[in-house]
Amino acid sequence: MLSPQTPETKPVKLSVRNLDFRYGEKKVLDGLSMDIHAERVTAIIGPSGCGKSTFLKCFNRIHEVSSAVQVSGQMAMDGVDIYRGGIDQVDLRRRVGMVFQKPNPFPKSIYENVAFGPRLFGVRDRATLDGLVEDALRKSALWDEVKDRLKESATGMSGGQQQRLCIARALAVNPEVLLMDEPCSALDPIATAKIEDLIGELKENLTIVIVTHNMQQAARVSDYTAFFWLGKLIEMDLTERIFTTPRERMTEDYITGRFG
Amino acid sequence: MAEPMPDLPETTLDAPLLPDGLARIATQGTPCPTPVFRQSHLHRLADRWTHLLFLACTLLVVLLIGGILYFLAARGAGAFFPLAGNTDKVVTFREVFLSTNWDPGDGHFGIVPFIAGTLAVTGLALLVAAPTGVLTGVFIAKVAPPWMRNVMRQVMDLLVGIPSVVYGIFGLTIILPMVGHAWLADAPAAGFAVSAAILAVMIVPTVVSLSTDAFESLPSSLDEGSQALGSTRWQAIWRVLIPAARPRLLTATVLGLGRAIGEAMAVQMVIGNNPQWMLLMRQATDQTPVLRFLFTPAATLTTELVQELPNTASGSTWNNVLFAMGLLLYLMTMLLILATRRLGRQEHA
Repeated sequence: MLSPQTPETKPVKLSVRNLDFRYGEKKVLDGLSMDIHAERVTAIIGPSGCGKSTFLKCFNRIHEVSSAVQVSGQMAMDGVDIYRGGIDQVDLRRRVGMVFQKPNPFPKSIYENVAFGPRLFGVRDRATLDGLVEDALRKSALWDEVKDRLKESATGMSGGQQQRLCIARALAVNPEVLLMDEPCSALDPIATAKIEDLIGELKENLTIVIVTHNMQQAARVSDYTAFFWLGKLIEMDLTERIFTTPRERMTEDYITGRFG
Repeated sequence: MAEPMPDLPETTLDAPLLPDGLARIATQGTPCPTPVFRQSHLHRLADRWTHLLFLACTLLVVLLIGGILYFLAARGAGAFFPLAGNTDKVVTFREVFLSTNWDPGDGHFGIVPFIAGTLAVTGLALLVAAPTGVLTGVFIAKVAPPWMRNVMRQVMDLLVGIPSVVYGIFGLTIILPMVGHAWLADAPAAGFAVSAAILAVMIVPTVVSLSTDAFESLPSSLDEGSQALGSTRWQAIWRVLIPAARPRLLTATVLGLGRAIGEAMAVQMVIGNNPQWMLLMRQATDQTPVLRFLFTPAATLTTELVQELPNTASGSTWNNVLFAMGLLLYLMTMLLILATRRLGRQEHA
């Protein structure tokens, strides 16, 4: 974990400036600005309804699938505004993977779940697919558990396995950023610990943004923590500093459990 | 070892749940006494009687269904075995189920043309209705804007309820002359093509309605999960949603098929009612085989029953064979329903 003594060496991967987000009349996010560094884990915490999931979904524009939303301000990946006209959402989502709150494996075999992404992008060669599937399953620490039952249905796995399968599925298209929306909220403590270990390994070559309800989890897995309240960013800093010497009174109250 | 639990004090079944004493203790010092909540005897009696009433209704339905089956089987068997009610000779299974010659006046009772006719007309109808219905279902559930979704759903539900004879009139007075005029140099257009088309129009709403339900019942997480990986909307539909809904889509199709197989009225009005259509097709050489198949006046199990049953004497071979045909239809529909059940079970597994 990054400590206040070591200087940040990684470049900024995602930068957000004055982001506003509206569902119809309702303003969900209000003037957010932050920088997210590559190969770091950034946790977003805050009480329910503070807009943290909505914020996460702005990075891959997935909320546009189901509803009409208005976004203003800037959100850039590697310096390119992802809300600019002419940005291909399909390509964006390939580069920015997402793991959802509830495991959502497709009702297909374990193998087909992981191979789904590569197939979308035209990989047909069996050997290449086999390699990609194995690689993704190894990265998500699932290979040893499932290598003998790749043809079995993914819906028969345990919740923790399903969630790791979803991570493998996201990794199989080789994303640069991985968004995780409360990935452990439906899991038991053992499965949660496995996912947390995984996050530590994955950040070697991925930028991870994780929304979590669980402050201990944020403290355990993240390098940076951002505290949201009512659609506003109250404070963002190194995780160590947020949990020891936060600048804002509100942050302190929240992490010590006085509200939220 | 733990000590054995002491016996509970004996109570009578009619004792109120809350003993009188307890109720009084609870009400001490309060101006308004707490009522003792108890069902009246009348309600308990009614409970017992309604149980019997429900049982009787269920038995009645089972009896009716079983009775119909027995009736059909008993009369149908008369065609093959000398039974008490027979007034005529019996025929062999071979003469009925393997012969294409239907000429009751001459003692020929081959029902292959009707079985083939039923299969052909329902098969053709399904070929059109299944893909159309499923794709419309996708459109309503996943693509259409909310206002259009509401309108379409209601229209489909209305269409399901239109009596089949209305479709028949439409086919008889509009489609038949139109097709005959446009493609067949004013020759009669009755036959499988128009029957299947009418039938398809009839069952599409059923298939649409059920497939819309199937797609709406899919969690949106599947859609989002697919698009989050970089699939387009159409890729999500083709590669995830349709496969995920497949068991229910199959059920929708089979239910449509069930409706098509049993349909008599609409088909009878446009099919041409020619029991010897197989013979006619073999003899005719003026058109290509496909056109001949599509536009030869034909008959199905249901249309033949509607057409001939009122004109036959009870107990005659003719009459008995028609009952055997009815039994065959009954069994086919039963089989379909069982298949639907099985598909439904697979979905839940």
